[in-house]
Amino acid sequence: MILDCRAVGSMLLGAARLLAENADRLSEIDSRFGDGDHGITMNKISRLIAEQVPLWGDRSLQAFLDDLGMAAMEVKGGSAGPLYGTLISGLGALLEADEKEVDADGVRRMFAGVLQELGDITQAQVGDKTMMDALIPAVEAARAAKGDVKEVLEAAAQAAEAGAKASEGFVAKYGRARSYHEQTIGTPDAGAVSAALFVRGLAEGLEDIA
Amino acid sequence: MKMKKFINNPDNLTTEALDGLAAANRDIVYRGEDNMIISKALENADRVTIVTQGGSGHEPAISGFVGEGMVDISVVGDVFAAPGPQACVDAIKLADKGKGVLYIVLNHAGDMLTGNLTMKQCKKQGLNVIKVVTQEDVSNAPRENADDRRGLVGCIPAYKIAGAAAAEGKSLEEVAAITQRFADQMATLAVAVRGATHPSTGAALADLGEEDMEIGMGQHGEGGGGRQPMKSADETADIMVNALVKDIGIRPGEKVMLIINGSGATTLMEQLIIYRRCEAVLKEQNIEIVANYVGELLTVQEQAGFQMFMARMDDELLRLWNAPCHTPYLTKR
Repeated sequence: MILDCRAVGSMLLGAARLLAENADRLSEIDSRFGDGDHGITMNKISRLIAEQVPLWGDRSLQAFLDDLGMAAMEVKGGSAGPLYGTLISGLGALLEADEKEVDADGVRRMFAGVLQELGDITQAQVGDKTMMDALIPAVEAARAAKGDVKEVLEAAAQAAEAGAKASEGFVAKYGRARSYHEQTIGTPDAGAVSAALFVRGLAEGLEDIA
Repeated sequence: MKMKKFINNPDNLTTEALDGLAAANRDIVYRGEDNMIISKALENADRVTIVTQGGSGHEPAISGFVGEGMVDISVVGDVFAAPGPQACVDAIKLADKGKGVLYIVLNHAGDMLTGNLTMKQCKKQGLNVIKVVTQEDVSNAPRENADDRRGLVGCIPAYKIAGAAAAEGKSLEEVAAITQRFADQMATLAVAVRGATHPSTGAALADLGEEDMEIGMGQHGEGGGGRQPMKSADETADIMVNALVKDIGIRPGEKVMLIINGSGATTLMEQLIIYRRCEAVLKEQNIEIVANYVGELLTVQEQAGFQMFMARMDDELLRLWNAPCHTPYLTKR
């Protein structure tokens, strides 16, 4: 299976839909050790994606993802804007500038780009109770997954979900939650949960066009 | 939750506050796009310029210190939230008068992300900018792990030092080096006795009960670990001032700057009582306060408590601190 711009757009819309549906849950998780607005911010990013995808035009994958990412960075509401903006731009970072279609290997490059770009701005690793708890395993799973686009996405989504679940057992090392030390054990990281929803949403969005 | 605060739409808190700041100080600053506050002195500036960024909700910080001799542009995000990098890149471009821009960022997760993304963009675009991070909270990490130290009120005197160095016509490298030298010599400890309410959500940011205070409280009500029964002004001042002297390693005969910064709901009367004790304690150790400020510079809504700031001073830093400035909330002649 080859993904064209329309297919990637559908994946992004799938991510947007899943994040919007879970906004209240994200805010609830964030309210325990954060300022309780993660769902609100993710809802804004979700709306931005839903607005922008229909305006894709003839931009390449990288060009569109970079524009969308830059716009997401300006979403107000804490770190989520810059982080998700970087994630979205990162999806295109390792593609060729004019690429408009990707295969399974291209999807692996898209995930690898996310890690490269986020790695430039944060040192967070698995176990630090951040969105990286979900994203690093997702990228590794995508890299290791055999098969077509769908199988790569499914492997990434499952790994991201397992990573978000595992974040419950970690002590927060970043952001406001960091001050609560061991008290944060038992609560998942809101960013890891939203990142897992994002990756799952990409996989679900692909189903919409299949 | 119902809040007893004079607000309109919670979504408009930041823009309305910035509109008010600009309206009340139209001789000094004006509103730019994307929640910027811009110094009127920027237009004719032929020197290094100063840009900073941060969340709202800490008034008068950060935008109350935009003006001659301090910050040229502040880029504000939302309540307690950093702005995005694009706005910061735009501000740096707008501020650059051909001599380069010093970009001051407080060490908080969101601000650091935006700071890193901004620097990445600036590098890509070939802009001449140096970033200095203020990270002086002694409560949550030892001095060796400065990267884990939060940026508290120390950004304000750092703006003053940087702005004055720029006004003297120093190069960007020199302004950055002096600001960094000052930042390396500073330390802050915060104490809270009552938490604030988040003005957009109504959520309580900390619960300290009726009996306790917390030394090491962050500026969004994050715990710092030093929870203990309420103590008198003198006992509290002793604990804090000695912790700062020890952290910076101030020796007898040295000179310091001391700031008592009210968090929002602690009276100036209490702050002055604290200051008086600090001066006595330092005098006993033969440490001289050569620069000071007592009052509100960086607040946390109606949090009760204060931040105590100390910095080792030398002749150059003192000259820069005493140099003229004219901003909405700090003027020196």
